[in-house]
Amino acid sequence: MVKPTDFRRLSPFLWELPKGARADMRVPARIYADEEFFEAAFEDRSAEQLVNTTTLPGLVAYALAMPDIHQGYGFPIGGVAATRLPSGVISPGGVGYDINCGVRVLTTHIAEEEVRPYLDPLMTALFQHVPCGVGRGHAGALGAKQLDQVLERGASWAVAMGFGTKEDLAHTEEQGTMEGANAGAVSERAKSRAKDQLGSLGSGNHFLEVDVIEQIYDPQVAARFGLVEGNIVVWIHSGSRALGHQVCTDAVRDLQSAMRNYGIQLPDRELACAPFDSPDGQRYFQAMVCAANFAWANRQMMTHLARQAFEQVLAGKVKDRQLTLLYDVAHNIAKVETYTINGERIKLCVHRKGATRAFGPGHPAVPEAYRDLGQPVLIPGSMGSASYILVGTAGAMEQSFGSTCHGAGRVLSRHAAKRAVTGQALRQELGQEGIVIKAESMSGLAEEAPEAYKDIDRVVEIVHQAGLARRVARTRPIGVMKG
Amino acid sequence: MEQGYREIPHTADVELEVWGKDLPELFTHAAQGLFSLAVRFDPEPRISAHRVINLSAPDWETLLVDWLNELILLSDENEEAYVAFEVELPGVGQLSARACATTDFTRTKVVKAATFHNLTIKEGPEGVRATIVFDV
Repeated sequence: MVKPTDFRRLSPFLWELPKGARADMRVPARIYADEEFFEAAFEDRSAEQLVNTTTLPGLVAYALAMPDIHQGYGFPIGGVAATRLPSGVISPGGVGYDINCGVRVLTTHIAEEEVRPYLDPLMTALFQHVPCGVGRGHAGALGAKQLDQVLERGASWAVAMGFGTKEDLAHTEEQGTMEGANAGAVSERAKSRAKDQLGSLGSGNHFLEVDVIEQIYDPQVAARFGLVEGNIVVWIHSGSRALGHQVCTDAVRDLQSAMRNYGIQLPDRELACAPFDSPDGQRYFQAMVCAANFAWANRQMMTHLARQAFEQVLAGKVKDRQLTLLYDVAHNIAKVETYTINGERIKLCVHRKGATRAFGPGHPAVPEAYRDLGQPVLIPGSMGSASYILVGTAGAMEQSFGSTCHGAGRVLSRHAAKRAVTGQALRQELGQEGIVIKAESMSGLAEEAPEAYKDIDRVVEIVHQAGLARRVARTRPIGVMKG
Repeated sequence: MEQGYREIPHTADVELEVWGKDLPELFTHAAQGLFSLAVRFDPEPRISAHRVINLSAPDWETLLVDWLNELILLSDENEEAYVAFEVELPGVGQLSARACATTDFTRTKVVKAATFHNLTIKEGPEGVRATIVFDV
């Protein structure tokens, strides 16, 4: 069992466990944290899980944890690990069961005072338009051919069907369609679970929020991002629903036996993996890309539904009701990316499990509109606190495989959160702060109470100070919709 | 009947400790624990169907994960939950089971999957015991 004293402090916000600290480590383990968050990583299995990830074959440089690190299974949540291609491994545990869980932000020209009188009907309309909870999606049942198109074309399919614009695609990671999809690599069971879920939020920590921009830190970047203090923005946090869950279940099961063929032994079966260029590795990657595309189509459809709700409630009352997509980021995904390591340009498979891509200025994958600035980085907090919009940095490219944190990170179990507060009490409490809550489940609402999460301000302060992304704006919720 | 499972605190997901006098009972209690997390049954749920499940796996731990993930899949596909189970384990890694389905329930949580994380089935004087982490 690793201890805090086994780590050395490299800088005020970076701690490292050297490679030899445990015999099976292939690379060092690094944690971005202040002292309190660092110590907290040892209160559950978070730190141990990070050290376990350092045993994956083909890892480059180090395995990383962001300040929102918390205990998961296999990888910790808030983890980043990169393997050298072609033969370094890909691990479904490094992506998670909700493949391409991610978040998007829509900007507006609507000031808080303009929307306040209509906030309750607006949240009701959003709740009616955007399916949430454990039920079906907006698209209804998809035929087999249509579903395969969604899996291979992602958000482009949704836009072609009328659920958005080309500008939306330009402002989505991978333009909403990741290369490498092969619908044939997705099991019939996974497809069967997906067929009626497209266009739905889901439950758990997924949400749709209306927030107000309450502070601007970088006026120049904020202006380019279309962020104006006092205006509202819409956050949508969701993923690939049951399709992603089943793709991961299938892969973790299949790779248990495949690992024996490749002679791979690991300390946790949930880290199951295969060489990226092997048939097993490729099958998972192709299926994962399909699930990622499904998630981008899903968030695109919900964007369309949110636009309909805004139009329905605010037409004739607010002059400019347009919702413009700032950006859409994935925070559970594995990507093929190229980095310079020790002067050599190499292709890597970068696993981000609860971590956000944070590409800096000049990177060709950053949309043209933001390329000279760096990509928008979207970090949602909990429903009673705040969320942040940051910008990617050169520092992230040098230190963290172009990655940063993904949210606040849990500190309380769901059970403990429900013991601390009931859903009804929480709704009342937040209501007194002017936050309108629409929730499918009061129990689910209590599980996501602000007390269950780390302080988002401190998480973001750490990544800002460490140079993994730069603060642009802070938003606070005024309307929250939970599944 | 005594409950054969309890929830253990887990920061992000849900961890269940499950026990039984033998493996079939452990598998039954694990299934009951899964549906206690995922649904709230009506007071007197009516049986709407029976599902026959046959699985094979290289070891008991894999079989336990397969069993729970099969139930998650069937529940999702058929929009039903399972109130009772008959589990037979005729050989190592072999399962033959019947699950009694009902539609008289409310789904309270999406359980994405049962995981292999830290999963071992331990034998002791009182029977068998396992801890299972579910992604929720």
